[in-house]
Amino acid sequence: MDNLMTVSNLKKSFKENNVLKGISFEIRRGEVLCFLGPNGAGKSTTINILTAVLGSDEGEICFKGDKISKKLRSYKQSIGIVPQDIALYEELSAESNLRFFASLYGLYGSRLDDAVEEALIFAGLQDRRKDKVKTFSGGMKRRLNIACAIAHHPELVIMDEPTVGIDPQSRNHILSSIKKLQNQGMTVIYTTHYMEEVEVISSRIIIMDHGTILAEGTKESLKEDIENEKRYIIEVEENGTMGHDEFFAVEGVKTVKIDGNTFEITSLKGVENLDRIIALLSDHGEKIRNITSEAASLETVFLKLTGRKLRD
Amino acid sequence: MRRFMVILKMDLVNLFKNPVLVGYNTAFAGLLILILGYLCGGDYADSNTAYQYYTVSLIVYGMLNGAMTASNCFMERDIKRANLRIIYSPVGSFFVYFTKMTASFLFNYILYTMLLLILCPLLHVSLGSNPVFFILLMAPVELAASAFGIFFCCVFHCEETTSTLLSTVINLLCFLGGTFFSLDGMGSLMSLITKISPVRWLNEAFFTLSCDDSLRYFWPVFTTALVLSALLTLGCGFYFRTEDYL
Repeated sequence: MDNLMTVSNLKKSFKENNVLKGISFEIRRGEVLCFLGPNGAGKSTTINILTAVLGSDEGEICFKGDKISKKLRSYKQSIGIVPQDIALYEELSAESNLRFFASLYGLYGSRLDDAVEEALIFAGLQDRRKDKVKTFSGGMKRRLNIACAIAHHPELVIMDEPTVGIDPQSRNHILSSIKKLQNQGMTVIYTTHYMEEVEVISSRIIIMDHGTILAEGTKESLKEDIENEKRYIIEVEENGTMGHDEFFAVEGVKTVKIDGNTFEITSLKGVENLDRIIALLSDHGEKIRNITSEAASLETVFLKLTGRKLRD
Repeated sequence: MRRFMVILKMDLVNLFKNPVLVGYNTAFAGLLILILGYLCGGDYADSNTAYQYYTVSLIVYGMLNGAMTASNCFMERDIKRANLRIIYSPVGSFFVYFTKMTASFLFNYILYTMLLLILCPLLHVSLGSNPVFFILLMAPVELAASAFGIFFCCVFHCEETTSTLLSTVINLLCFLGGTFFSLDGMGSLMSLITKISPVRWLNEAFFTLSCDDSLRYFWPVFTTALVLSALLTLGCGFYFRTEDYL
């Protein structure tokens, strides 16, 4: 994938508060790049600078090789923005909102009609097109909020926490819509608090905290880099005699937790010892009902990098 | 130009769909004229004179309050977020505030012209032998008021602060300019303050047009208001920052 955008040494302060401390990253064409970080990490400031609404103190942003400050209008034409707050005219219908916002990007006539129709289908609001936005549920508003940003077919869509405060059904609709956008060739920048969303949609992840980038990569590579343990959860029919000590005799086993008929065993990565653990259980007459091997989660990765949970 | 017209149309739709603003600039203004004209009828030669006085002076007052319509159109909380999308879009930032200024001007100008067209025959109020001059002079005054409101928003970045400040300034100027009652009989100092109040001269221009059929103040007020509008628009360009919308 080639680079669509390059961000170099971006710095931003608000009075004495250094919100961005010289971050650099690339956005590759066709990917979903997720920014993950707690409140105050600098995600929204980064997004506001990328949308060209907020200026940076230092640094450079290039879009398709050109500085955005030099080709601002063409850059703005190429991007669609989903702000954190619902940015819609509540007194107007869904269709009027879409028609207005799409026409700001130079669409008119049949191209505008087609774009509005497509966006309504994208948001699943064809049946409610004439209804005022103020009569919509939170989820419907969120979907329309996204549709308004993509109606003009931008190359890059920037989404700042677009699923805040919505029901799971609408969240799933939005996440699958983002996948669809990616399949259509759009590049997406996505900020969120929700680890599950990142797991589902991300091509790459940037983890931010205190205005710096702590880690960057695919979810698999991030987990790989950070995690040096693997975890087995073994359920037996009835635990009779097995205690902690027996497991420690197996090479690589670091911790053992026993909860009734369930054993939670962490082991050093790179030591292939599952067959020996199973053999050990069989030797003690345990009948295994289920075994699961859990990979490291992004939550663990985040915790290790920042020393705190995402929603702390 | 197409995008300018698209935004202007949307701003006008938003203003005309705001029942508070429409009510304030029509029913409230009309009722105020009727009530003050009726209550103060005894202070004038006849009730017609009282209606004449309050129609002209309160229309001027209403036009000046157009500054608050402008600030509302520009940064009112509910529409500010949606307006943020205009800033995201590839239109120049000049369009962002200039469309709001134009929309507020048109909104107030249309409503106050309609109000005059209804009240004048009803209350036997004269706008002079040629009412076109009166209505024509309203245009630059209304434009300057709208520009004033947008300029305040650009400087203070907040609709609430702007509205509070504007309301205080406009009411004070109108009070000192004798909009609600004449201050001439309240001593020489008040009389002097009244004379230097710009609202006094604004009232004077409209009264000389409507009562004396004189164009004496027409061109000075017309050009001053236009120049002021242009200067305030330039000031908006200087102070307006897109991040104020975040």
